[in-house]
Amino acid sequence: MAYNSKEKETPNWKKDFPVKKDEATHVSRREFAKFLCLLSGGMALGNGIIAIKSFAFPSKELEGEHFICNTSDVAIGQTKEFIIEGEKNIPYLLIHLSEGKWRAFEQKCTHLSCAVRYNAEINKIECPCHKGFFDADTGTVLAGPPPRPLPQLSVHIKNEKVYVSAYKESKTIS
Amino acid sequence: MSDFREAQNQAHPNKTNTLMVGIIFLLIGIVGIQIWLLYGTLNNALSENQGFALAAAIGSFVFFFLALFLLKYLPDARGKSRRN
Ligand code: FES
Repeated sequence: MAYNSKEKETPNWKKDFPVKKDEATHVSRREFAKFLCLLSGGMALGNGIIAIKSFAFPSKELEGEHFICNTSDVAIGQTKEFIIEGEKNIPYLLIHLSEGKWRAFEQKCTHLSCAVRYNAEINKIECPCHKGFFDADTGTVLAGPPPRPLPQLSVHIKNEKVYVSAYKESKTIS
Repeated sequence: MSDFREAQNQAHPNKTNTLMVGIIFLLIGIVGIQIWLLYGTLNNALSENQGFALAAAIGSFVFFFLALFLLKYLPDARGKSRRN
Protein backbone atom coordinates (compact mmCIF):
# COMPACT_ATOMS: atom_id res chain seq x y z
CA MET A 1 0.00 0.00 0.00
CA ALA A 2 1.44 3.29 -1.06
CA TYR A 3 0.84 6.51 0.83
CA ASN A 4 1.73 9.68 -0.88
CA SER A 5 4.05 11.90 1.10
CA LYS A 6 1.47 14.65 1.75
CA GLU A 7 -0.95 12.30 3.43
CA LYS A 8 1.78 10.98 5.63
CA GLU A 9 2.57 14.42 6.94
CA THR A 10 -0.98 15.12 8.07
CA PRO A 11 -1.32 13.92 11.65
CA ASN A 12 -4.38 11.94 12.59
CA TRP A 13 -5.90 14.60 14.85
CA LYS A 14 -5.88 17.01 11.96
CA LYS A 15 -7.74 14.57 9.81
CA ASP A 16 -10.31 14.12 12.52
CA PHE A 17 -10.85 17.85 13.06
CA PRO A 18 -10.36 19.46 9.67
CA VAL A 19 -11.36 22.95 10.86
CA LYS A 20 -8.79 25.69 11.13
CA LYS A 21 -8.74 27.51 14.43
CA ASP A 22 -9.63 30.95 13.05
CA GLU A 23 -12.43 29.39 11.03
CA ALA A 24 -13.74 27.74 14.14
CA THR A 25 -14.12 31.08 15.93
CA HIS A 26 -15.70 32.61 12.87
CA VAL A 27 -18.29 29.87 12.71
CA SER A 28 -19.10 30.17 16.36
CA ARG A 29 -20.25 33.75 15.94
CA ARG A 30 -22.55 32.65 13.15
CA GLU A 31 -23.81 29.96 15.42
CA PHE A 32 -24.32 32.49 18.19
CA ALA A 33 -26.42 34.64 15.89
CA LYS A 34 -28.48 31.60 14.94
CA PHE A 35 -28.87 30.68 18.57
CA LEU A 36 -30.16 34.18 19.32
CA CYS A 37 -32.67 33.72 16.55
CA LEU A 38 -33.74 30.41 18.06
CA LEU A 39 -34.17 32.14 21.40
CA SER A 40 -36.26 34.79 19.71
CA GLY A 41 -38.45 32.04 18.24
CA GLY A 42 -38.83 30.54 21.69
CA MET A 43 -39.95 33.87 23.11
CA ALA A 44 -42.49 34.33 20.34
CA LEU A 45 -43.78 30.79 20.90
CA GLY A 46 -44.09 31.34 24.65
CA ASN A 47 -45.94 34.57 24.11
CA GLY A 48 -48.23 32.88 21.61
CA ILE A 49 -48.99 30.01 23.96
CA ILE A 50 -49.90 32.40 26.76
CA ALA A 51 -52.18 34.36 24.45
CA ILE A 52 -53.88 31.19 23.16
CA LYS A 53 -54.24 29.85 26.67
CA SER A 54 -55.82 33.04 27.93
CA PHE A 55 -58.33 32.98 25.08
CA ALA A 56 -59.07 29.24 25.17
CA PHE A 57 -59.33 28.84 28.92
CA PRO A 58 -60.45 32.11 30.46
CA SER A 59 -60.43 31.78 34.23
CA LYS A 60 -63.91 31.14 35.54
CA GLU A 61 -65.71 33.24 38.07
CA LEU A 62 -66.40 31.71 41.42
CA GLU A 63 -69.71 29.88 41.29
CA GLY A 64 -72.31 29.89 43.99
CA GLU A 65 -72.06 30.92 47.59
CA HIS A 66 -69.53 29.47 49.96
CA PHE A 67 -70.00 29.21 53.69
CA ILE A 68 -66.99 30.55 55.60
CA CYS A 69 -67.80 30.83 59.30
CA ASN A 70 -70.23 32.21 61.84
CA THR A 71 -70.25 35.95 62.41
CA SER A 72 -69.34 35.41 66.04
CA ASP A 73 -66.06 33.73 65.05
CA VAL A 74 -64.47 36.94 63.81
CA ALA A 75 -64.55 39.99 66.09
CA ILE A 76 -64.46 43.53 64.72
CA GLY A 77 -60.98 44.37 63.48
CA GLN A 78 -60.11 40.70 63.23
CA THR A 79 -59.51 38.64 60.14
CA LYS A 80 -59.90 35.07 59.04
CA GLU A 81 -58.02 33.30 56.30
CA PHE A 82 -59.85 30.83 54.12
CA ILE A 83 -59.23 28.89 50.98
CA ILE A 84 -61.77 28.14 48.31
CA GLU A 85 -61.06 24.81 46.72
CA GLY A 86 -61.37 24.70 42.98
CA GLU A 87 -59.13 24.47 39.96
CA LYS A 88 -56.75 26.71 41.82
CA ASN A 89 -56.77 26.93 45.56
CA ILE A 90 -56.76 30.64 46.14
CA PRO A 91 -56.22 31.93 49.66
CA TYR A 92 -58.56 34.71 50.77
CA LEU A 93 -58.68 37.05 53.71
CA LEU A 94 -62.00 37.79 55.41
CA ILE A 95 -61.98 41.07 57.30
CA HIS A 96 -64.55 42.29 59.78
CA LEU A 97 -64.13 46.04 59.37
CA SER A 98 -66.92 47.30 61.58
CA GLU A 99 -70.37 46.28 62.74
CA GLY A 100 -71.97 44.52 59.79
CA LYS A 101 -69.19 45.53 57.42
CA TRP A 102 -67.27 42.62 55.99
CA ARG A 103 -64.79 42.33 53.20
CA ALA A 104 -63.08 39.40 51.52
CA PHE A 105 -59.94 39.92 49.42
CA GLU A 106 -57.56 37.60 47.72
CA GLN A 107 -54.61 37.24 50.01
CA LYS A 108 -52.01 37.31 47.27
CA CYS A 109 -50.42 40.72 46.80
CA THR A 110 -50.78 41.82 43.18
CA HIS A 111 -47.13 42.78 43.14
CA LEU A 112 -45.19 39.55 43.76
CA SER A 113 -47.80 37.38 45.47
CA CYS A 114 -46.75 37.80 49.08
CA ALA A 115 -49.47 37.18 51.64
CA VAL A 116 -51.08 40.47 52.65
CA ARG A 117 -52.44 41.12 56.14
CA TYR A 118 -54.92 43.51 57.65
CA ASN A 119 -53.56 46.18 59.96
CA ALA A 120 -56.49 47.26 62.16
CA GLU A 121 -54.61 50.20 63.67
CA ILE A 122 -54.33 52.09 60.41
CA ASN A 123 -57.32 50.34 58.82
CA LYS A 124 -55.29 49.28 55.77
CA ILE A 125 -54.24 46.04 54.23
CA GLU A 126 -50.50 45.89 54.11
CA CYS A 127 -48.03 43.79 52.24
CA PRO A 128 -44.92 43.24 54.33
CA CYS A 129 -42.70 42.36 51.40
CA HIS A 130 -42.25 45.76 49.78
CA LYS A 131 -44.46 47.99 51.91
CA GLY A 132 -47.48 47.93 49.65
CA PHE A 133 -50.72 49.30 51.12
CA PHE A 134 -54.28 48.63 50.03
CA ASP A 135 -57.53 50.26 51.03
CA ALA A 136 -59.31 47.87 53.39
CA ASP A 137 -62.67 48.99 52.05
CA THR A 138 -62.18 48.71 48.29
CA GLY A 139 -58.86 46.95 47.84
CA THR A 140 -57.37 49.76 45.76
CA VAL A 141 -53.67 50.43 45.98
CA LEU A 142 -52.78 53.30 48.32
CA ALA A 143 -49.00 53.10 48.31
CA GLY A 144 -46.13 50.92 47.22
CA PRO A 145 -45.34 48.84 44.17
CA PRO A 146 -48.52 46.75 43.63
CA PRO A 147 -49.82 47.44 40.11
CA ARG A 148 -53.45 46.37 40.58
CA PRO A 149 -56.09 46.42 43.33
CA LEU A 150 -56.64 43.24 45.31
CA PRO A 151 -59.32 41.01 43.77
CA GLN A 152 -62.40 40.93 45.92
CA LEU A 153 -65.29 38.64 46.81
CA SER A 154 -68.74 39.70 47.90
CA VAL A 155 -69.65 38.87 51.49
CA HIS A 156 -73.21 38.03 52.52
CA ILE A 157 -74.47 37.57 56.04
CA LYS A 158 -77.40 35.23 56.44
CA ASN A 159 -78.60 34.06 59.87
CA GLU A 160 -75.34 34.99 61.55
CA LYS A 161 -73.38 33.03 58.97
CA VAL A 162 -70.83 34.48 56.58
CA TYR A 163 -70.98 33.51 52.91
CA VAL A 164 -68.91 34.70 49.98
CA SER A 165 -69.59 34.72 46.26
CA ALA A 166 -68.11 36.24 43.12
CA TYR A 167 -67.75 39.98 43.40
CA LYS A 168 -70.57 42.12 42.10
CA GLU A 169 -70.61 45.84 42.87
CA SER A 170 -74.24 45.99 43.99
CA LYS A 171 -74.17 42.93 46.19
CA THR A 172 -71.51 44.24 48.55
CA ILE A 173 -72.71 44.81 52.03
CA SER A 174 -71.57 48.13 53.38
CA MET B 1 -7.94 36.09 -10.95
CA SER B 2 -9.05 39.01 -8.85
CA ASP B 3 -12.65 40.08 -9.12
CA PHE B 4 -14.72 42.88 -7.64
CA ARG B 5 -15.69 40.96 -4.51
CA GLU B 6 -12.13 40.01 -3.74
CA ALA B 7 -10.88 43.56 -4.26
CA GLN B 8 -13.61 44.82 -1.96
CA ASN B 9 -12.72 42.31 0.69
CA GLN B 10 -9.09 43.29 0.51
CA ALA B 11 -9.89 46.99 0.75
CA HIS B 12 -12.17 46.47 3.78
CA PRO B 13 -10.90 43.48 5.67
CA ASN B 14 -13.09 44.22 8.70
CA LYS B 15 -16.34 44.32 6.81
CA THR B 16 -17.65 40.90 7.78
CA ASN B 17 -16.60 41.56 11.33
CA THR B 18 -18.62 44.77 11.50
CA LEU B 19 -21.59 43.13 9.84
CA MET B 20 -21.45 40.23 12.26
CA VAL B 21 -21.27 42.49 15.31
CA GLY B 22 -24.10 44.63 13.97
CA ILE B 23 -26.34 41.63 13.41
CA ILE B 24 -25.57 40.16 16.80
CA PHE B 25 -26.35 43.45 18.54
CA LEU B 26 -29.62 43.79 16.66
CA LEU B 27 -30.53 40.22 17.59
CA ILE B 28 -29.74 40.87 21.24
CA GLY B 29 -31.94 43.96 21.06
CA ILE B 30 -34.78 41.94 19.54
CA VAL B 31 -34.53 39.20 22.15
CA GLY B 32 -34.42 41.88 24.86
CA ILE B 33 -37.66 43.44 23.64
CA GLN B 34 -39.24 40.00 23.43
CA ILE B 35 -38.28 39.24 27.02
CA TRP B 36 -39.92 42.49 27.99
CA LEU B 37 -43.09 41.58 26.07
CA LEU B 38 -43.16 38.12 27.62
CA TYR B 39 -42.78 39.59 31.08
CA GLY B 40 -45.63 41.98 30.40
CA THR B 41 -47.81 39.18 29.07
CA LEU B 42 -47.23 37.01 32.10
CA ASN B 43 -48.10 39.90 34.35
CA ASN B 44 -51.20 40.85 32.41
CA ALA B 45 -52.50 37.36 31.86
CA LEU B 46 -52.95 37.17 35.62
CA SER B 47 -55.62 39.84 35.48
CA GLU B 48 -57.22 38.48 32.31
CA ASN B 49 -55.97 41.31 30.17
CA GLN B 50 -56.37 39.37 26.96
CA GLY B 51 -56.00 42.25 24.54
CA PHE B 52 -52.51 42.91 25.75
CA ALA B 53 -51.59 39.23 25.61
CA LEU B 54 -52.69 39.09 21.97
CA ALA B 55 -50.89 42.28 20.96
CA ALA B 56 -47.69 41.18 22.68
CA ALA B 57 -47.85 37.76 21.02
CA ILE B 58 -48.25 39.33 17.58
CA GLY B 59 -45.43 41.76 18.30
CA SER B 60 -43.20 38.96 19.49
CA PHE B 61 -43.80 36.99 16.30
CA VAL B 62 -43.04 40.06 14.19
CA PHE B 63 -39.73 40.40 16.02
CA PHE B 64 -39.01 36.72 15.47
CA PHE B 65 -39.48 37.10 11.73
CA LEU B 66 -37.30 40.19 11.82
CA ALA B 67 -34.60 38.11 13.50
CA LEU B 68 -34.99 35.37 10.87
CA PHE B 69 -34.74 38.00 8.14
CA LEU B 70 -31.54 39.35 9.68
CA LEU B 71 -29.94 35.92 9.43
CA LYS B 72 -30.10 36.32 5.66
CA TYR B 73 -27.36 38.94 5.97
CA LEU B 74 -25.11 36.75 8.05
CA PRO B 75 -21.71 36.67 6.33
CA ASP B 76 -20.70 33.32 4.89
CA ALA B 77 -18.38 31.17 6.90
CA ARG B 78 -14.83 32.14 6.01
CA GLY B 79 -13.88 28.81 4.50
CA LYS B 80 -16.78 28.90 2.09
CA SER B 81 -16.16 32.39 0.77
CA ARG B 82 -12.51 31.56 0.25
CA ARG B 83 -13.29 28.55 -1.82
CA ASN B 84 -15.54 30.53 -4.13
S1 FES C 1 -45.23 41.55 47.03
FE1 FES C 1 -46.56 42.92 47.97
S2 FES C 1 -45.57 44.80 47.72
FE2 FES C 1 -44.22 43.43 46.69
